[in-house]
Amino acid sequence: MSTADLLEAARSAMLLAKKHGAAEAAATASRSRDVETTWRDGKLEKVSDATSRSLSLALFVDGKYGSMSTSDLRPEALDRFVQDAVALVRSLAKDPHRKLPDPALYAGRTTEDLEIFDPSIAELTTEARLLRAKAMEEGARSVPGAERILSVTTAVYDSTGAYARVASNGFEGSYQTSSITAEAEVSVKDDDGRRPEDYAYASVRMAGDLPDPAAIGREATERALARLRAKKIGSGTKTVLVEARAARGLLRHLLGPLGGGALQQKESFLEGKLDAAVASKTLTLTDEPLLKRGQASRPFDSEGIVAKPRTIFEKGTLRSFFLDVYYASKLGMAPTTGRSSNLVVAPGKKSPAALMKDVKDGVLVTSFLGGNSNSTTGVFSLGFSGFRIANGEKKEPIAEMNLSGNHLDLWKRLVAVGDDLFVYSSMRSPSLLFEGVSIAGK
Amino acid sequence: MNESLLRRRDVLFGAGALSLAHLAGCGGSPNPKVAAPDARQPAPSTKPPPGLVLAYFGAFGVDETMMREGLAAALSRGADRADLYFEHKVSTWLALEDGEVNRAYTDVTLGVGVRAIKGDQTGYGYTEELTIDAIRRAGQTAAAVASGPSRSGPISFRVSALPNRYPARIPWETVRADQRLPILSRIDERIRSADSRIKKVRASFRDEHGAILLVDSEGRVFEDVIPSTLLYVSCTAEDKGRRETNGYNVAARAGFEFYTEERLARIVKEAVARTVVLFEATPAPLGEMPVVLAAGASGILLHEAIGHGMEADFNRKNTSIYSDRIGKPIAKDIVSIVDDGTIEFARGAINVDDEGNPPEKTLLVDRGTLATYLHDSISAKHYGVKSTGSGRRESFRHAPMPRMRATYMLPGPHEEEEIIRSVKKGIYCSNFTNGQVQIGAGDFTFYVKNGYLIENGKLTRPITDVNLIGNGPKVLERVDMVANELVFDEGGWTCGKNGQSVPVSLGMPTVRVSEMTVGGRKA
Repeated sequence: MSTADLLEAARSAMLLAKKHGAAEAAATASRSRDVETTWRDGKLEKVSDATSRSLSLALFVDGKYGSMSTSDLRPEALDRFVQDAVALVRSLAKDPHRKLPDPALYAGRTTEDLEIFDPSIAELTTEARLLRAKAMEEGARSVPGAERILSVTTAVYDSTGAYARVASNGFEGSYQTSSITAEAEVSVKDDDGRRPEDYAYASVRMAGDLPDPAAIGREATERALARLRAKKIGSGTKTVLVEARAARGLLRHLLGPLGGGALQQKESFLEGKLDAAVASKTLTLTDEPLLKRGQASRPFDSEGIVAKPRTIFEKGTLRSFFLDVYYASKLGMAPTTGRSSNLVVAPGKKSPAALMKDVKDGVLVTSFLGGNSNSTTGVFSLGFSGFRIANGEKKEPIAEMNLSGNHLDLWKRLVAVGDDLFVYSSMRSPSLLFEGVSIAGK
Repeated sequence: MNESLLRRRDVLFGAGALSLAHLAGCGGSPNPKVAAPDARQPAPSTKPPPGLVLAYFGAFGVDETMMREGLAAALSRGADRADLYFEHKVSTWLALEDGEVNRAYTDVTLGVGVRAIKGDQTGYGYTEELTIDAIRRAGQTAAAVASGPSRSGPISFRVSALPNRYPARIPWETVRADQRLPILSRIDERIRSADSRIKKVRASFRDEHGAILLVDSEGRVFEDVIPSTLLYVSCTAEDKGRRETNGYNVAARAGFEFYTEERLARIVKEAVARTVVLFEATPAPLGEMPVVLAAGASGILLHEAIGHGMEADFNRKNTSIYSDRIGKPIAKDIVSIVDDGTIEFARGAINVDDEGNPPEKTLLVDRGTLATYLHDSISAKHYGVKSTGSGRRESFRHAPMPRMRATYMLPGPHEEEEIIRSVKKGIYCSNFTNGQVQIGAGDFTFYVKNGYLIENGKLTRPITDVNLIGNGPKVLERVDMVANELVFDEGGWTCGKNGQSVPVSLGMPTVRVSEMTVGGRKA
């Protein structure tokens, strides 16, 4: 997918906005093709294939701000829409903090290939997708205990896209992306009528990085079978090992409170904590937009700010917030970026099995279920399922459990991290080990 | 692409949780998904085609030839049936922060989805271009789900009349910005004057107008004009160095007249009360105990504990904990649960479902016995029953599947006061932000934002930020008291399933669950 026509579309939209009265404007144009191929229990369940486009504009009019987006690109409709959007912005209050980024923030864009676009993904055939989907099912059904399987659904999702951005103060940029995800989900029959299910997946930028589909299928069945006869255990304060794949469920609650909006609106328990120890020395977390083949890699952010790796937590000390141009201005701080990219928790040296060896009485969290976190106070309460750990060994599966606390306390209890970075996510975390966490069950 | 495409995440969000979700993206800039007040559709270009009058989509150049060509392409490889789903939606979003309405966001969605069905199998394509060529291409993509000789399309089309459960007295396309803005400003002023501890107010106001056009291979044609709105307020208060944030939101399928003086007053009162009460909050308890769910938004229990599990696609695949349990007792006979698409002006109301079937008031549980699944046309055919009108989709980019609409429990024999009095030690929950369920295992959770401890039959101290967790069938068995007054929640609930979000409603009389796990912090 070329970006030349998208750049042209963004340029004309930006000029259209200026023609209708915007003092400054930024436009983005994007196009993507998304294909979904779902296979279930030996036959095709669903195919969906479509190419989609959209255009959006940020409008700065008379010191006021608004934005718009549309999938209706008929020229007369677009002209009318931009005109109406400018009129709407005129009716708002002035906001001195709204402006395009200082062009200095655009400078220094990487010239390296981030390896986030694989043109071969656009050439995939239906047959190739179905082969993968079938191989995942075969893998899923090859595991001992497969006679308990009620249903196997496997899917391949692939996507190619292109994105271009133009701003009236001199920014132009574009890039192409691709991704392919292979996923298997397995439901098994429990003795009491429950039908526990679990899944496995891999999501990558380059088709060649996709692991063996049969292995994904096997993992899904193994995980589902491991859920059989899960039960609730007693409440108490325990050591908690969070599996790498599930760690996002905890870490994501640290993101909102790091954002400029939450900070400026006094909705962040991390306000005033810059350069303070928020976590134990075990936690180092970086934002890595230039990571090769990363799920969220990019040469510049959604405002055009050039992408730079940044340290968010350095050995437990908070080093940086996520500040877009607007909230940085309101807070009187320098903008960083309003949007995180690949968040990487620095891994440790021990395998998850070695981490577990040191746990006398604890739980392994393999999946979070619902719950929430209060970004103002840091209090959280999250459902989970997983396994009991006793004397260094993984014991029976547990379910209907809950984990609670306050982030300001929890992250100080992080005593170790594994060597097992989960790479199929923009949150690249290893297993996390916490001591003295409150869990609720019976 | 990240975790978003994972298929089993069956989640429910209140507007409050949604707002937090957009913060989680970092930066707090308006979630780029909403649009302009006066972006009108283009003027009608040609005279309507003979024989078929499309009141709304005629202006977009949609006519019988386009419909015929799209369906013919979808049926070109032997699909059993096919449909076209046209959608036009104009959304306007205004937001107030730091005392000023200082941002607007407008969005226009226009496109058509083409679906071909062969047995249980679905082929799907869509395009944003409403031209015969583009629709034909989407149709050919969809057709590929089948492989056989082409089937013929409908001989003629007929536009069917629909009931109107959400007529807008003041349609959004006629409302000017200077009418919308003062609503936000007034809410801000009133909240600030109501309690001096409130330091920050954020309010956002979203409205949508537009229509869908559904055409199927039987020649049925439905056009449905849909107005909708959502107003969300959050406030942060400070007292003796402690900070708390909470809010309130209202939503409906309705026009501008929805914002009555009475409703605005309630928004202010609830947003303030729900926030400042948190200064008195004590950490929630932990472990198994009786739970009283207040009338209203507690319908979240039904949505998670049974609603998703009754969606027939999971049962067709034999992956729901409720598979094979139709006709069997699952709760006490005081428990009857309904999913209903017919409640006027409700966020979960529909005039027709997204595959052309009339919505029903569907009894999921009839006096304790599991009665009916929620069907779309595929599962209805699979089970040889009539669709319950539950086939819904997020937009023209998505194929429909069985979804909830407005889910609630019918009133029972008890008094609210008697229910609270019956609990020696437990909790009372009245306000929620989000929930989630695992369909097959049946485990579900919901997150309580406001509640109280119950001690010796009385509500004592407020509690907040606690997740409740249980197993669907087990919890339903334990619903042992149901009060005699059903209350619908007016909040903006959004249900997510297989990556698709649809608006839903919740209702509940006060009930008692004899035992559930409460994920608090104090033993």
